[in-house]
Amino acid sequence: MFSFELLLDAVVLGLLLGCFYAAVSIGLSVSFGLLDVPHVAHPAFLVLASYGTYFLSEYGIDPIIAGLLLTPVFFVLGLGMYRLYYETFEKRGSDAGVRGIAFFFGIAFIIEVAIILLFGVDQRSVQAPYIGKSIDILSLRIPLRLVVAFIVALLLTLILTLYLSRTFTGRTIRAVAQDADALRLMGANPIATKQWAFGIATGVLGIAGALLIIVQPVEPTLDRAYIGRTFCVVVMAGLGSMSGTLLAGLILGVAESIVLTLYGASWAPAISFAMLLAVLAVRPQGLFGR
Amino acid sequence: MAFKLTISGASASYGAVRALENVTLNVQQGETVVLLGTNGNGKSTLMKCLMGLVRPTAGTITLEADGVTHDLTKIATEDIVALGVALVPEGRRLFSKLTVEENLMLGAYRKEARPAIARNLAFAYEAFPILAERRTQLAGTMSGGQQQMLAIGRAMMSSPRLLLVDEPSVGLSPLLVSQTITKIGELRQKFGLTVLMAEQNFQQAVRIADRGYIIVHGSIAYEGKSVEDLKTNPLVKQLYLGAVA
Repeated sequence: MFSFELLLDAVVLGLLLGCFYAAVSIGLSVSFGLLDVPHVAHPAFLVLASYGTYFLSEYGIDPIIAGLLLTPVFFVLGLGMYRLYYETFEKRGSDAGVRGIAFFFGIAFIIEVAIILLFGVDQRSVQAPYIGKSIDILSLRIPLRLVVAFIVALLLTLILTLYLSRTFTGRTIRAVAQDADALRLMGANPIATKQWAFGIATGVLGIAGALLIIVQPVEPTLDRAYIGRTFCVVVMAGLGSMSGTLLAGLILGVAESIVLTLYGASWAPAISFAMLLAVLAVRPQGLFGR
Repeated sequence: MAFKLTISGASASYGAVRALENVTLNVQQGETVVLLGTNGNGKSTLMKCLMGLVRPTAGTITLEADGVTHDLTKIATEDIVALGVALVPEGRRLFSKLTVEENLMLGAYRKEARPAIARNLAFAYEAFPILAERRTQLAGTMSGGQQQMLAIGRAMMSSPRLLLVDEPSVGLSPLLVSQTITKIGELRQKFGLTVLMAEQNFQQAVRIADRGYIIVHGSIAYEGKSVEDLKTNPLVKQLYLGAVA
Protein backbone atom coordinates (compact mmCIF):
# COMPACT_ATOMS: atom_id res chain seq x y z
CA MET A 1 0.00 0.00 0.00
CA PHE A 2 2.58 2.56 1.08
CA SER A 3 5.59 3.17 -1.08
CA PHE A 4 8.31 5.73 -1.36
CA GLU A 5 7.19 6.60 -4.87
CA LEU A 6 3.71 7.28 -3.68
CA LEU A 7 5.07 9.64 -1.05
CA LEU A 8 7.31 11.42 -3.56
CA ASP A 9 4.32 11.79 -5.83
CA ALA A 10 2.33 13.30 -2.96
CA VAL A 11 5.10 15.75 -2.08
CA VAL A 12 5.56 16.99 -5.64
CA LEU A 13 1.83 17.38 -6.18
CA GLY A 14 1.62 19.03 -2.76
CA LEU A 15 4.25 21.60 -3.70
CA LEU A 16 2.35 22.51 -6.86
CA LEU A 17 -0.94 22.59 -4.97
CA GLY A 18 0.79 24.71 -2.32
CA CYS A 19 1.76 27.31 -4.91
CA PHE A 20 -1.87 27.43 -5.92
CA TYR A 21 -2.91 27.92 -2.28
CA ALA A 22 -0.39 30.74 -1.98
CA ALA A 23 -1.81 32.41 -5.08
CA VAL A 24 -5.39 32.36 -3.77
CA SER A 25 -4.24 33.55 -0.32
CA ILE A 26 -1.85 36.35 -1.22
CA GLY A 27 -4.62 38.94 -1.53
CA LEU A 28 -5.70 38.07 2.00
CA SER A 29 -2.11 38.50 3.08
CA VAL A 30 -2.52 42.13 2.08
CA SER A 31 -6.07 42.79 3.32
CA PHE A 32 -5.94 40.79 6.57
CA GLY A 33 -2.19 40.46 7.03
CA LEU A 34 -1.15 44.04 6.39
CA LEU A 35 -4.35 46.04 6.84
CA ASP A 36 -5.90 44.10 9.75
CA VAL A 37 -9.24 43.94 7.93
CA PRO A 38 -11.03 40.69 8.92
CA HIS A 39 -11.86 39.90 5.32
CA VAL A 40 -13.74 36.59 5.63
CA ALA A 41 -15.43 37.33 2.28
CA HIS A 42 -12.05 36.91 0.57
CA PRO A 43 -12.83 33.33 -0.61
CA ALA A 44 -16.29 34.43 -1.75
CA PHE A 45 -14.69 37.02 -4.04
CA LEU A 46 -12.33 34.28 -5.18
CA VAL A 47 -15.23 32.05 -6.23
CA LEU A 48 -16.98 35.06 -7.78
CA ALA A 49 -13.87 35.62 -9.92
CA SER A 50 -14.00 31.94 -10.93
CA TYR A 51 -17.56 32.42 -12.13
CA GLY A 52 -16.47 35.57 -13.92
CA THR A 53 -13.81 33.49 -15.66
CA TYR A 54 -16.41 30.86 -16.52
CA PHE A 55 -18.71 33.54 -17.92
CA LEU A 56 -15.97 35.01 -20.11
CA SER A 57 -14.79 31.56 -21.22
CA GLU A 58 -18.28 30.92 -22.64
CA TYR A 59 -17.34 33.61 -25.16
CA GLY A 60 -14.19 31.74 -26.06
CA ILE A 61 -11.79 33.72 -23.91
CA ASP A 62 -8.89 31.77 -22.43
CA PRO A 63 -9.25 31.44 -18.61
CA ILE A 64 -5.90 33.11 -17.87
CA ILE A 65 -6.75 36.04 -20.15
CA ALA A 66 -10.18 36.20 -18.51
CA GLY A 67 -8.49 36.37 -15.09
CA LEU A 68 -6.30 39.23 -16.25
CA LEU A 69 -9.38 41.04 -17.61
CA LEU A 70 -11.18 40.54 -14.29
CA THR A 71 -8.26 41.92 -12.28
CA PRO A 72 -8.95 45.65 -12.93
CA VAL A 73 -12.68 45.02 -12.42
CA PHE A 74 -12.00 43.42 -9.05
CA PHE A 75 -9.57 46.20 -8.19
CA VAL A 76 -12.36 48.75 -8.56
CA LEU A 77 -14.72 46.44 -6.68
CA GLY A 78 -12.16 46.33 -3.86
CA LEU A 79 -11.93 50.13 -3.74
CA GLY A 80 -15.70 50.32 -3.36
CA MET A 81 -15.81 47.52 -0.78
CA TYR A 82 -13.25 49.19 1.44
CA ARG A 83 -15.02 52.53 1.20
CA LEU A 84 -18.26 50.84 2.29
CA TYR A 85 -16.50 49.00 5.14
CA TYR A 86 -14.71 52.17 6.23
CA GLU A 87 -17.80 54.40 6.20
CA THR A 88 -20.05 51.89 7.95
CA PHE A 89 -17.65 50.19 10.38
CA GLU A 90 -13.99 51.13 10.63
CA LYS A 91 -14.61 54.86 11.02
CA ARG A 92 -16.79 54.26 14.05
CA GLY A 93 -14.20 52.91 16.38
CA SER A 94 -12.10 50.24 17.88
CA ASP A 95 -14.52 47.31 17.94
CA ALA A 96 -14.53 47.39 14.13
CA GLY A 97 -12.83 43.98 14.15
CA VAL A 98 -15.73 41.93 15.47
CA ARG A 99 -18.42 43.87 13.63
CA GLY A 100 -16.25 43.79 10.54
CA ILE A 101 -16.37 40.00 10.56
CA ALA A 102 -20.17 40.16 10.59
CA PHE A 103 -20.09 42.65 7.72
CA PHE A 104 -17.84 40.47 5.57
CA PHE A 105 -19.80 37.31 6.40
CA GLY A 106 -22.84 39.14 5.13
CA ILE A 107 -21.03 40.10 1.95
CA ALA A 108 -19.92 36.47 1.48
CA PHE A 109 -23.53 35.23 1.74
CA ILE A 110 -24.76 37.88 -0.66
CA ILE A 111 -22.12 36.78 -3.17
CA GLU A 112 -23.06 33.11 -2.73
CA VAL A 113 -26.74 33.85 -3.30
CA ALA A 114 -25.99 36.09 -6.26
CA ILE A 115 -23.93 33.33 -7.88
CA ILE A 116 -26.74 30.79 -7.30
CA LEU A 117 -29.29 33.16 -8.86
CA LEU A 118 -27.09 33.89 -11.85
CA PHE A 119 -25.47 30.52 -12.52
CA GLY A 120 -27.44 27.92 -10.55
CA VAL A 121 -26.05 25.41 -8.09
CA ASP A 122 -24.36 23.10 -10.62
CA GLN A 123 -20.63 22.73 -10.84
CA ARG A 124 -18.96 24.77 -13.55
CA SER A 125 -15.62 24.29 -15.22
CA VAL A 126 -13.66 25.75 -18.12
CA GLN A 127 -11.78 24.34 -21.07
CA ALA A 128 -8.27 25.26 -22.13
CA PRO A 129 -5.39 23.49 -23.86
CA TYR A 130 -3.53 23.16 -20.55
CA ILE A 131 -6.44 21.65 -18.62
CA GLY A 132 -6.64 17.85 -18.51
CA LYS A 133 -3.16 17.29 -19.88
CA SER A 134 -0.12 16.11 -17.99
CA ILE A 135 3.58 16.17 -18.41
CA ASP A 136 5.75 13.24 -17.41
CA ILE A 137 8.94 13.95 -15.53
CA LEU A 138 10.85 10.76 -14.64
CA SER A 139 8.24 8.57 -13.02
CA LEU A 140 5.97 11.47 -12.07
CA ARG A 141 2.87 12.52 -13.92
CA ILE A 142 2.26 16.20 -13.30
CA PRO A 143 -1.02 17.86 -14.32
CA LEU A 144 -0.30 20.86 -16.53
CA ARG A 145 -3.01 22.96 -14.83
CA LEU A 146 -1.01 22.81 -11.59
CA VAL A 147 2.10 23.92 -13.44
CA VAL A 148 0.18 26.96 -14.68
CA ALA A 149 -0.86 27.69 -11.10
CA PHE A 150 2.74 27.28 -9.98
CA ILE A 151 4.03 29.85 -12.49
CA VAL A 152 1.28 32.38 -11.76
CA ALA A 153 1.82 32.03 -7.99
CA LEU A 154 5.53 32.70 -8.30
CA LEU A 155 4.92 35.74 -10.49
CA LEU A 156 2.27 37.13 -8.14
CA THR A 157 4.53 36.71 -5.11
CA LEU A 158 7.46 38.33 -6.88
CA ILE A 159 5.45 41.28 -8.18
CA LEU A 160 3.75 41.96 -4.84
CA THR A 161 6.99 41.60 -2.88
CA LEU A 162 8.73 44.11 -5.15
CA TYR A 163 5.78 46.48 -5.13
CA LEU A 164 5.48 46.45 -1.34
CA SER A 165 9.20 46.91 -0.67
CA ARG A 166 10.40 49.14 -3.52
CA THR A 167 7.67 51.71 -4.10
CA PHE A 168 6.55 54.64 -1.97
CA THR A 169 2.95 53.43 -1.98
CA GLY A 170 4.05 49.87 -1.20
CA ARG A 171 5.92 50.99 1.88
CA THR A 172 2.97 53.05 3.08
CA ILE A 173 0.79 49.94 2.71
CA ARG A 174 3.13 48.01 5.00
CA ALA A 175 3.25 50.87 7.49
CA VAL A 176 -0.40 51.88 7.68
CA ALA A 177 -1.68 49.32 10.18
CA GLN A 178 1.33 49.84 12.45
CA ASP A 179 0.64 53.51 13.13
CA ALA A 180 -1.86 55.42 11.01
CA ASP A 181 -1.15 58.80 12.62
CA ALA A 182 2.59 58.39 12.15
CA LEU A 183 1.90 57.65 8.49
CA ARG A 184 -0.03 60.93 8.31
CA LEU A 185 3.09 62.64 9.63
CA MET A 186 4.97 61.18 6.64
CA GLY A 187 2.50 62.96 4.37
CA ALA A 188 0.40 59.97 3.32
CA ASN A 189 -3.33 59.59 3.88
CA PRO A 190 -3.93 56.32 5.77
CA ILE A 191 -7.50 55.88 4.54
CA ALA A 192 -6.53 56.35 0.91
CA THR A 193 -3.59 54.01 1.46
CA LYS A 194 -5.80 51.29 2.92
CA GLN A 195 -8.36 51.72 0.18
CA TRP A 196 -5.73 51.39 -2.54
CA ALA A 197 -4.24 48.31 -0.83
CA PHE A 198 -7.67 46.74 -0.51
CA GLY A 199 -8.14 47.35 -4.23
CA ILE A 200 -4.91 45.46 -4.92
CA ALA A 201 -5.85 42.66 -2.51
CA THR A 202 -9.16 42.24 -4.33
CA GLY A 203 -7.65 42.79 -7.77
CA VAL A 204 -5.28 39.83 -7.48
CA LEU A 205 -8.37 37.69 -6.82
CA GLY A 206 -9.26 38.20 -10.48
CA ILE A 207 -6.33 36.10 -11.60
CA ALA A 208 -6.58 33.82 -8.52
CA GLY A 209 -10.21 33.04 -9.36
CA ALA A 210 -9.15 32.03 -12.85
CA LEU A 211 -6.57 29.68 -11.30
CA LEU A 212 -9.22 28.16 -9.04
CA ILE A 213 -11.51 27.18 -11.90
CA ILE A 214 -8.49 25.94 -13.86
CA VAL A 215 -7.48 23.69 -10.95
CA GLN A 216 -10.93 22.42 -10.01
CA PRO A 217 -14.61 22.78 -10.97
CA VAL A 218 -16.39 25.43 -8.90
CA GLU A 219 -19.77 25.61 -7.17
CA PRO A 220 -21.38 28.58 -5.38
CA THR A 221 -20.48 27.44 -1.85
CA LEU A 222 -16.89 26.47 -2.62
CA ASP A 223 -15.71 29.56 -0.73
CA ARG A 224 -16.38 27.75 2.55
CA ALA A 225 -13.64 25.22 1.78
CA TYR A 226 -11.24 28.08 1.19
CA ILE A 227 -11.88 30.11 4.34
CA GLY A 228 -9.82 27.64 6.35
CA ARG A 229 -7.14 27.30 3.71
CA THR A 230 -6.60 30.99 3.00
CA PHE A 231 -6.64 32.04 6.65
CA CYS A 232 -4.37 29.12 7.56
CA VAL A 233 -1.84 30.19 4.93
CA VAL A 234 -1.94 33.87 5.89
CA VAL A 235 -1.66 33.27 9.65
CA MET A 236 1.04 30.64 9.19
CA ALA A 237 2.92 33.05 6.93
CA GLY A 238 3.18 35.65 9.65
CA LEU A 239 0.70 38.41 8.93
CA GLY A 240 1.67 40.36 5.87
CA SER A 241 4.71 38.50 4.64
CA MET A 242 4.49 37.80 0.90
CA SER A 243 7.36 35.32 0.67
CA GLY A 244 6.04 33.77 3.89
CA THR A 245 2.69 33.34 2.14
CA LEU A 246 4.35 31.33 -0.59
CA LEU A 247 6.20 29.13 1.91
CA ALA A 248 3.11 28.66 4.09
CA GLY A 249 1.10 27.72 1.00
CA LEU A 250 3.71 25.08 0.16
CA ILE A 251 3.55 23.64 3.70
CA LEU A 252 -0.24 23.41 3.60
CA GLY A 253 -0.18 21.95 0.08
CA VAL A 254 2.30 19.21 1.00
CA ALA A 255 0.50 18.42 4.27
CA GLU A 256 -2.87 18.11 2.53
CA SER A 257 -1.42 16.06 -0.27
CA ILE A 258 0.30 13.58 2.07
CA VAL A 259 -2.79 13.19 4.24
CA LEU A 260 -4.89 12.72 1.12
CA THR A 261 -2.54 10.01 -0.13
CA LEU A 262 -2.23 8.15 3.17
CA TYR A 263 -5.67 8.56 4.74
CA GLY A 264 -8.01 9.51 1.93
CA ALA A 265 -9.71 12.62 0.63
CA SER A 266 -12.21 13.07 3.43
CA TRP A 267 -9.52 14.15 5.88
CA ALA A 268 -7.87 16.75 3.65
CA PRO A 269 -10.23 19.69 4.34
CA ALA A 270 -9.63 19.36 8.11
CA ILE A 271 -5.89 19.85 7.70
CA SER A 272 -6.02 23.60 7.18
CA PHE A 273 -8.11 24.22 10.30
CA ALA A 274 -5.89 21.91 12.34
CA MET A 275 -2.77 23.73 11.18
CA LEU A 276 -4.41 27.13 11.72
CA LEU A 277 -5.21 26.23 15.33
CA ALA A 278 -1.78 24.71 15.88
CA VAL A 279 -0.03 27.83 14.60
CA LEU A 280 -2.22 30.13 16.69
CA ALA A 281 -1.49 28.03 19.78
CA VAL A 282 2.23 27.55 19.33
CA ARG A 283 3.49 30.47 17.30
CA PRO A 284 0.83 33.15 16.83
CA GLN A 285 3.20 35.52 15.06
CA GLY A 286 3.42 32.95 12.25
CA LEU A 287 6.30 30.85 11.02
CA PHE A 288 7.85 33.56 8.90
CA GLY A 289 6.56 36.67 10.66
CA ARG A 290 8.68 39.32 12.26
CA MET B 1 11.24 83.54 0.91
CA ALA B 2 9.58 84.63 4.09
CA PHE B 3 8.66 81.80 6.36
CA LYS B 4 6.83 82.24 9.61
CA LEU B 5 4.74 80.20 12.00
CA THR B 6 2.18 82.10 14.04
CA ILE B 7 -0.06 80.68 16.73
CA SER B 8 -2.57 83.12 18.06
CA GLY B 9 -4.94 82.55 20.96
CA ALA B 10 -5.06 78.80 20.43
CA SER B 11 -7.09 76.63 22.80
CA ALA B 12 -7.62 72.90 22.64
CA SER B 13 -9.25 70.24 24.77
CA TYR B 14 -9.73 66.49 25.01
CA GLY B 15 -13.39 66.19 25.85
CA ALA B 16 -13.89 68.19 29.02
CA VAL B 17 -10.17 68.44 29.74
CA ARG B 18 -8.62 71.72 28.69
CA ALA B 19 -5.14 71.06 27.29
CA LEU B 20 -4.32 74.47 25.79
CA GLU B 21 -5.60 77.87 26.82
CA ASN B 22 -5.11 80.95 24.68
CA VAL B 23 -1.60 80.11 23.48
CA THR B 24 0.17 82.74 21.41
CA LEU B 25 3.55 81.93 19.97
CA ASN B 26 5.56 82.58 16.84
CA VAL B 27 8.60 81.15 15.12
CA GLN B 28 10.52 83.18 12.54
CA GLN B 29 12.56 81.75 9.71
CA GLY B 30 15.95 80.42 10.82
CA GLU B 31 15.19 80.53 14.52
CA THR B 32 15.39 77.75 17.05
CA VAL B 33 12.64 78.27 19.57
CA VAL B 34 12.10 76.06 22.59
CA LEU B 35 8.83 75.40 24.30
CA LEU B 36 9.70 74.60 27.87
CA GLY B 37 7.43 72.86 30.28
CA THR B 38 7.22 69.82 32.46
CA ASN B 39 5.04 66.81 31.66
CA GLY B 40 1.34 67.30 31.17
CA ASN B 41 1.44 71.02 30.45
CA GLY B 42 0.27 70.84 26.85
CA LYS B 43 3.48 70.77 24.83
CA SER B 44 2.57 67.66 22.85
CA THR B 45 -0.97 68.90 22.32
CA LEU B 46 0.41 72.08 20.80
CA MET B 47 2.66 70.04 18.50
CA LYS B 48 -0.32 67.92 17.45
CA CYS B 49 -2.32 71.07 16.76
CA LEU B 50 0.46 72.31 14.51
CA MET B 51 0.32 69.05 12.52
CA GLY B 52 -3.47 68.96 12.35
CA LEU B 53 -3.70 65.79 14.45
CA VAL B 54 -5.62 67.71 17.11
CA ARG B 55 -7.85 70.61 16.07
CA PRO B 56 -7.90 73.72 18.25
CA THR B 57 -11.27 74.80 19.61
CA ALA B 58 -10.35 78.47 19.30
CA GLY B 59 -7.60 80.65 17.91
CA THR B 60 -5.59 80.54 14.71
CA ILE B 61 -2.47 78.75 13.51
CA THR B 62 -0.97 80.07 10.31
CA LEU B 63 2.12 79.30 8.30
CA GLU B 64 3.41 81.99 6.00
CA ALA B 65 5.50 80.50 3.22
CA ASP B 66 6.70 82.35 0.12
CA GLY B 67 4.09 85.05 0.45
CA VAL B 68 1.16 82.65 0.91
CA THR B 69 -0.54 82.31 4.28
CA HIS B 70 -1.81 78.81 5.08
CA ASP B 71 -4.37 78.21 7.81
CA LEU B 72 -3.06 75.06 9.48
CA THR B 73 -6.29 74.54 11.42
CA LYS B 74 -8.15 73.97 8.16
CA ILE B 75 -5.88 71.68 6.14
CA ALA B 76 -5.15 67.97 6.51
CA THR B 77 -2.00 66.65 8.16
CA GLU B 78 -0.75 65.35 4.81
CA ASP B 79 -1.02 68.84 3.33
CA ILE B 80 0.80 70.39 6.29
CA VAL B 81 3.63 67.92 5.69
CA ALA B 82 3.57 68.90 2.02
CA LEU B 83 4.23 72.53 3.05
CA GLY B 84 7.56 71.42 4.51
CA VAL B 85 6.67 70.90 8.16
CA ALA B 86 8.02 67.74 9.80
CA LEU B 87 7.39 66.49 13.33
CA VAL B 88 9.64 64.22 15.35
CA PRO B 89 6.80 62.96 17.52
CA GLU B 90 6.86 62.23 21.22
CA GLY B 91 7.58 58.55 21.73
CA ARG B 92 9.19 58.55 18.25
CA ARG B 93 6.30 56.66 16.60
CA LEU B 94 8.55 54.58 14.37
CA PHE B 95 7.22 51.79 12.19
CA SER B 96 8.69 49.14 14.43
CA LYS B 97 8.20 46.17 12.12
CA LEU B 98 9.92 47.87 9.20
CA THR B 99 13.66 48.22 8.79
CA VAL B 100 15.68 51.34 9.56
CA GLU B 101 16.03 52.14 5.88
CA GLU B 102 12.34 51.56 5.19
CA ASN B 103 11.49 54.00 7.97
CA LEU B 104 13.80 56.57 6.42
CA MET B 105 12.30 56.00 2.99
CA LEU B 106 8.82 56.56 4.41
CA GLY B 107 10.07 59.90 5.68
CA ALA B 108 10.76 60.83 2.07
CA TYR B 109 7.17 60.24 0.99
CA ARG B 110 6.55 63.95 0.51
CA LYS B 111 6.62 64.67 -3.23
CA GLU B 112 9.06 67.59 -2.95
CA ALA B 113 11.54 65.37 -1.09
CA ARG B 114 11.63 62.53 -3.58
CA PRO B 115 14.11 64.01 -6.06
CA ALA B 116 16.54 64.59 -3.16
CA ILE B 117 16.12 61.12 -1.71
CA ALA B 118 19.62 59.79 -2.39
CA ARG B 119 21.22 62.94 -1.03
CA ASN B 120 18.99 63.03 2.06
CA LEU B 121 19.66 59.37 2.77
CA ALA B 122 23.40 60.00 2.55
CA PHE B 123 23.03 62.98 4.92
CA ALA B 124 21.02 60.91 7.38
CA TYR B 125 23.64 58.16 7.40
CA GLU B 126 26.42 60.71 7.71
CA ALA B 127 24.70 62.42 10.65
CA PHE B 128 23.84 59.12 12.33
CA PRO B 129 26.40 56.47 11.29
CA ILE B 130 24.72 53.89 13.53
CA LEU B 131 21.69 54.02 11.24
CA ALA B 132 23.85 53.08 8.26
CA GLU B 133 25.29 50.15 10.19
CA ARG B 134 21.82 48.95 11.09
CA ARG B 135 19.94 49.81 7.94
CA THR B 136 18.41 46.33 7.60
CA GLN B 137 17.53 45.97 11.27
CA LEU B 138 13.90 46.27 12.39
CA ALA B 139 13.31 49.68 13.96
CA GLY B 140 11.53 48.19 16.96
CA THR B 141 14.57 46.17 17.97
CA MET B 142 16.87 49.16 18.43
CA SER B 143 17.73 50.96 21.66
CA GLY B 144 15.91 54.13 22.70
CA GLY B 145 18.77 56.39 21.66
CA GLN B 146 19.05 54.79 18.26
CA GLN B 147 15.31 55.02 17.79
CA GLN B 148 15.42 58.73 18.57
CA MET B 149 18.15 59.20 15.96
CA LEU B 150 16.04 57.28 13.46
CA ALA B 151 13.00 59.43 14.26
CA ILE B 152 15.04 62.58 13.63
CA GLY B 153 16.60 61.12 10.49
CA ARG B 154 13.17 60.12 9.22
CA ALA B 155 11.86 63.66 9.70
CA MET B 156 14.92 65.07 7.91
CA MET B 157 14.23 62.82 4.91
CA SER B 158 11.29 65.05 4.00
CA SER B 159 13.60 68.05 3.40
CA PRO B 160 11.66 70.06 5.99
CA ARG B 161 11.76 73.84 6.27
CA LEU B 162 10.21 73.79 9.73
CA LEU B 163 11.27 70.98 12.03
CA LEU B 164 9.11 70.32 15.07
CA VAL B 165 10.68 68.17 17.77
CA ASP B 166 8.53 66.88 20.60
CA GLU B 167 10.35 65.81 23.78
CA PRO B 168 13.52 64.34 22.26
CA SER B 169 14.89 63.57 25.72
CA VAL B 170 12.14 61.20 26.88
CA GLY B 171 13.51 57.84 27.92
CA LEU B 172 17.13 58.67 27.16
CA SER B 173 20.16 58.71 29.43
CA PRO B 174 21.65 62.16 30.21
CA LEU B 175 24.56 61.55 27.85
CA LEU B 176 22.24 60.57 25.00
CA VAL B 177 20.00 63.59 25.68
CA SER B 178 23.01 65.84 25.34
CA GLN B 179 24.13 64.13 22.12
CA THR B 180 20.64 64.28 20.64
CA ILE B 181 20.23 67.98 21.38
CA THR B 182 23.69 68.71 19.96
CA LYS B 183 22.75 66.81 16.81
CA ILE B 184 19.56 68.80 16.36
CA GLY B 185 21.63 71.98 16.69
CA GLU B 186 24.07 70.73 14.04
CA LEU B 187 21.31 69.79 11.62
CA ARG B 188 19.76 73.19 12.08
CA GLN B 189 23.07 74.88 11.22
CA LYS B 190 23.78 72.66 8.26
CA PHE B 191 20.38 72.88 6.59
CA GLY B 192 19.32 76.35 7.70
CA LEU B 193 16.32 74.82 9.43
CA THR B 194 13.72 76.58 11.45
CA VAL B 195 13.14 74.59 14.63
CA LEU B 196 10.46 74.52 17.28
CA MET B 197 11.37 72.08 20.05
CA ALA B 198 9.23 71.09 23.01
CA GLU B 199 11.39 69.92 25.87
CA GLN B 200 11.36 69.57 29.63
CA ASN B 201 15.10 69.45 30.09
CA PHE B 202 15.82 73.17 30.49
CA GLN B 203 19.63 73.07 30.64
CA GLN B 204 19.92 70.95 27.50
CA ALA B 205 17.25 72.74 25.48
CA VAL B 206 18.62 76.24 25.95
CA ARG B 207 22.04 75.14 24.63
CA ILE B 208 20.79 75.32 21.04
CA ALA B 209 17.91 77.76 21.44
CA ASP B 210 17.67 81.38 20.32
CA ARG B 211 14.73 82.08 22.56
CA GLY B 212 11.82 80.29 24.15
CA TYR B 213 8.48 80.09 25.86
CA ILE B 214 7.46 78.52 29.13
CA ILE B 215 4.17 76.69 29.16
CA VAL B 216 2.37 75.99 32.42
CA HIS B 217 -1.04 74.28 32.61
CA GLY B 218 -1.68 74.86 28.93
CA SER B 219 -0.91 78.56 28.92
CA ILE B 220 2.21 80.49 27.99
CA ALA B 221 3.51 81.66 31.36
CA TYR B 222 6.55 83.50 30.09
CA GLU B 223 8.08 84.52 26.78
CA GLY B 224 11.86 84.80 26.88
CA LYS B 225 13.35 87.04 24.20
CA SER B 226 16.71 85.36 24.60
CA VAL B 227 18.37 82.47 26.37
CA GLU B 228 19.71 84.94 28.97
CA ASP B 229 16.19 86.12 29.51
CA LEU B 230 15.09 82.57 30.23
CA LYS B 231 18.00 81.75 32.48
CA THR B 232 17.45 84.73 34.72
CA ASN B 233 13.70 84.46 34.90
CA PRO B 234 12.35 83.79 38.41
CA LEU B 235 9.69 81.41 37.09
CA VAL B 236 12.39 79.26 35.49
CA LYS B 237 14.28 79.24 38.74
CA GLN B 238 11.17 78.16 40.54
CA LEU B 239 10.19 75.45 38.03
CA TYR B 240 13.56 74.08 37.03
CA LEU B 241 16.30 75.14 39.34
CA GLY B 242 14.61 74.42 42.63
CA ALA B 243 14.93 77.97 43.99
CA VAL B 244 12.04 79.47 45.90
CA ALA B 245 10.85 82.59 44.14
